[in-house]
Amino acid sequence: MVPLLNRSSASPVSSTTRRLLDGLLTAWAAVSLTFFALRLSAGDPVAALLSNGLTTSQQAEQLRHRLGYDLPLLQQYVHYLGRLARGDLGVSLYSGQPVTELIGSALPSTLRLAGSSLLIAFPLGAVLGGVAGWGSRPVLRRLAGTLASLATSLPVAATGVIGLLFMGRLGGADSLAPQPGLWLPATVLGWAAAGPFARAVQAGLQSTRRSPFILAARARGLRQNGRLLWHAVRPTLPAIASLLAVEVAFLFAGTVVIETVFSRPGLGRILVRSILQGDFPIAQALVGMSALFYLATQVVADSLARSADPRLRGPA
Amino acid sequence: MRLARLWLGIVVALALVAPLLTQNSPRDPVASALAPPGPGLPLGADALGRDFLARMLFGTRLSLGLASLAAVIAIGAGGAAGFAGALFGSTADRVWLWTTNVLLSIPSLLLAMLLIAAWGPGIPAVVAAVGVGGAPVFSRVTRAVVSQLVGAGYVAAAQAAGADRLWTSLRHVLPNALPQLAPLAGTQFGWAFLGITTLTFLGLAGDPAVPEWGAMLNAGRVALVSAPRLVLTPALAISLTILSVHALSRPSETDDSNR
Amino acid sequence: MIRRSVFILPVLIVACSGRDPSPESLRYGLTLAPTGIDPHLNASVELGIPLSSVYDTLVYRDSETGEFVPGLASRWEVSADSLSYTFYLREDVRFHDGERFDAAAVRANIEYTLNPDHASQKAASMLGPLLEVEVLDPYAVALHLERPFAPLLDSLSQVYLGMASPQALATWGPGEYQFHQVGTGPFRFVEYVQDDHLTLQRNPDYGWAPEIYSSPTAQIETITFRFFEDVATRAPALETGAVDIIGELPASEVERLAALPGIGVQQVRVPGQPLQLLFNTELSPTADLRVRQALVLGVDRAAIVETVFGGYSPVASGPLAGDTFAISDQTAFPDYDPLAARELLEQAGWSGDPGSASLELRLVVPNWGSNPEVGQLVAAAWEQLGAAVTLEVAAGFGPLTQAQAEGDYHAIGMNSFGTDPDLLRPFFSSDGFFNWTGYRDPLLDHLLAEGMEASPSPERSATYSELAGLVREQWLILPIREYVNLVGVNSRVDGLRFSPQGWFPYLIDLQLRP
Repeated sequence: MVPLLNRSSASPVSSTTRRLLDGLLTAWAAVSLTFFALRLSAGDPVAALLSNGLTTSQQAEQLRHRLGYDLPLLQQYVHYLGRLARGDLGVSLYSGQPVTELIGSALPSTLRLAGSSLLIAFPLGAVLGGVAGWGSRPVLRRLAGTLASLATSLPVAATGVIGLLFMGRLGGADSLAPQPGLWLPATVLGWAAAGPFARAVQAGLQSTRRSPFILAARARGLRQNGRLLWHAVRPTLPAIASLLAVEVAFLFAGTVVIETVFSRPGLGRILVRSILQGDFPIAQALVGMSALFYLATQVVADSLARSADPRLRGPA
Repeated sequence: MRLARLWLGIVVALALVAPLLTQNSPRDPVASALAPPGPGLPLGADALGRDFLARMLFGTRLSLGLASLAAVIAIGAGGAAGFAGALFGSTADRVWLWTTNVLLSIPSLLLAMLLIAAWGPGIPAVVAAVGVGGAPVFSRVTRAVVSQLVGAGYVAAAQAAGADRLWTSLRHVLPNALPQLAPLAGTQFGWAFLGITTLTFLGLAGDPAVPEWGAMLNAGRVALVSAPRLVLTPALAISLTILSVHALSRPSETDDSNR
Repeated sequence: MIRRSVFILPVLIVACSGRDPSPESLRYGLTLAPTGIDPHLNASVELGIPLSSVYDTLVYRDSETGEFVPGLASRWEVSADSLSYTFYLREDVRFHDGERFDAAAVRANIEYTLNPDHASQKAASMLGPLLEVEVLDPYAVALHLERPFAPLLDSLSQVYLGMASPQALATWGPGEYQFHQVGTGPFRFVEYVQDDHLTLQRNPDYGWAPEIYSSPTAQIETITFRFFEDVATRAPALETGAVDIIGELPASEVERLAALPGIGVQQVRVPGQPLQLLFNTELSPTADLRVRQALVLGVDRAAIVETVFGGYSPVASGPLAGDTFAISDQTAFPDYDPLAARELLEQAGWSGDPGSASLELRLVVPNWGSNPEVGQLVAAAWEQLGAAVTLEVAAGFGPLTQAQAEGDYHAIGMNSFGTDPDLLRPFFSSDGFFNWTGYRDPLLDHLLAEGMEASPSPERSATYSELAGLVREQWLILPIREYVNLVGVNSRVDGLRFSPQGWFPYLIDLQLRP
């Protein structure tokens, strides 16, 4: 993350605090961006409230007043930030249900999908990248490298649908076989997520394999596996740690698509529907929360990278 | 590599001559629903009886055209921002840095979806959103390239000779920056293509009849088992196109043959 | 080796999260998640699928004979002037929360429904000219009408006028009550997580089943309803065993599904209005009757029905589906005639010549019931006539009514269901909530009022036939298809039958084969 605040290295503020401040400022800006982008172009929410059919004009006015939609935009913005700090994400325009409840009921499913995908992505990526960068036979290296490239390039919409078709067909000619639980969507998404990771591992291994200290180690007689691998991998860990943020960003998009392809309940479905219906409090909350989470991931990834490689630590 | 060029060549050619290759409109039903491939209907009919081949052909125009448009927006907006940040002084640079950071803090697909939420679903919104979503990354690269060139002394030399800053940048930096930035146009196109097909796949294209590959991939899912060609064809087309673009725009892989 | 076990672990975790069918629970697939599921207040039919078994009604309608049979009311009397209906209630009925069902409960329910602040979308209009609810004694209640109202018993047989616990209604109030529903039916409402699932549990104390139910008490312990808004997900849900029953299957998959061992498909006719488009008579060019006629004649309705609905739906020929009770015949809408359509457009001034202005049309359809597919084909047909058509799919009831309120549409898709032709009233009366055509005619109002008052008879049929004729003469609608619900059923499920309204299953009769 490129630092925002430009202080001289003689500043009394520690670099960690500075980074934290950076992160918070960016987070605030991202949340504000989502607020203004949606509110400036949203139509009058009363129309949406009325269209429910469940409110008379008078009630719509009251609701509008209660939700604060009749205040000037800047005032609404201040209230919005205040409510956000208290954990109140607003209510859906059409159903009146609190957004926190909506997100809360859908979150477990999305987390299960994203979590399982990560659990598959990291080992799979490590294996593919390891074989591609360190494997003993060229054929294997090529194969692993190709699989990794395909994983990064192929869109999950396509691989998901094809996976559903072929895995399902294995069960019988003219129908879809039972697909218990999570394994197919998680594998499709996990493979796609493994791609960038595999490529990073592969590149890292390829570059360190020829580095002086590895050559020296081999000259000293260390066999080319096991401990040597670990010594080769270690310098690449910082790069891999910062990949964590990339993976998270990728998963945000990937889960939305996979949830649609496999018709799984989750935040993806809610987000798409809120956009189609113009239910902006939901879209606002989801995008804002994603930004915050993504920023947090970047901060964590940065710290991991720093701790893995002393060279990156900079002035304390 | 060669395959990639071949495929892209075919696709671009089809996009250009699509209306000549078929008499059927991609929107008018000409047969019964899900009619299998046969004389006059090389790829059969889709769920609403429309000529599927015609839809795929017109889809090449749409998918490629819209992606190009979005890539142009990304490159234009991102490039301009990157230039401004590098050349217009430290305040502009700070502003640029800050804006880019904020925009990059939202994963790009979500940023595009945010913009569609603001503008309402529809093809123009999708194109604009993908374009704006791709701009921050491109602007970062542009700024890096340009500031490196700025540091290389071109500008200082030109300024010493009395040239105005903007003029200097255009005359000296641009020709030197372009060769470094040009290969990235390919990557931008690839990302734009992926973004557009994903967003239309999710149903944000507004027009349900639009013959765009991502939307067709979504529409074909109803008949996944009874007519898998409706899903496989767009899936294959999208995948091959993205693979080709990536293959052509990636610098050559590190050669691992020297052991 | 470490690598291998690291690989296996995630696969194991992931594989263990499947859902197994339990012998005592049933999974039922719904389609759209309605915005609200309080039957007193909301109009969706989706809510009726689970909730018809949570509530009992005063009377029930026999699907075969069309006659009304006792429900919560063991008998009833209608006054000679047809203005008073007196219901004598069963005395052994209790709500799921333990409270007694009595005449006061009936009054509380009707008051809750009619409360103008609650803005009931359907149930209130189903009560027509109701003046007063009079509690005669603890188990006798009289409904007094301002004018005779033929559909009253039919209304009282539907879930929208099901009897809820007055205490629950008062405790939770409109808005919240939908999440805490309490009735007297064979199933109890357990929970509803919006857009996710709705759970019902067997009511062990149910002892007042009406004669239309085959079994006196529920035979399945738990029923879980999940939502499958995306049409493409319904057939796979059935095939993979994720649901045991699911409705609104796409026509293209039915033949294949029915041929699979272990799966059956039922075709259930749904009476009421057909899937249709309503023309906006207040906006040019559809304000011109000739244009509307042309837009109807220019669409090959039979071809559209064949393409989108396979052979499973009759082509609609008027504002009411053929077998809605009390309608004997209607003046049918004519067949596809593109030449006549083009002639009419020319007469109306839209010549389609390159130089002249072209007909611009805006079509808005909801996202349920294959409306988007029909919309695409209708738009293509109108474009063949030389029009430039914009098709907008409204993503839900809310966006649809919002689009309608903005008034910027030439045709909009909407229909309602029911077993009494009075359901046309909100659509065609001058002040009807669903009068989206904007057509106001005292003759129509008169016919609707007449039909509302007359008791079932050839005269009543004639009134509605005349009304249908008027609708056709004015070309107010483009009728497409009569609803047939294609319901997929896993063979482990026995006894699936539907009420006369078509949509609502008798969940009490369902059994699971071991």
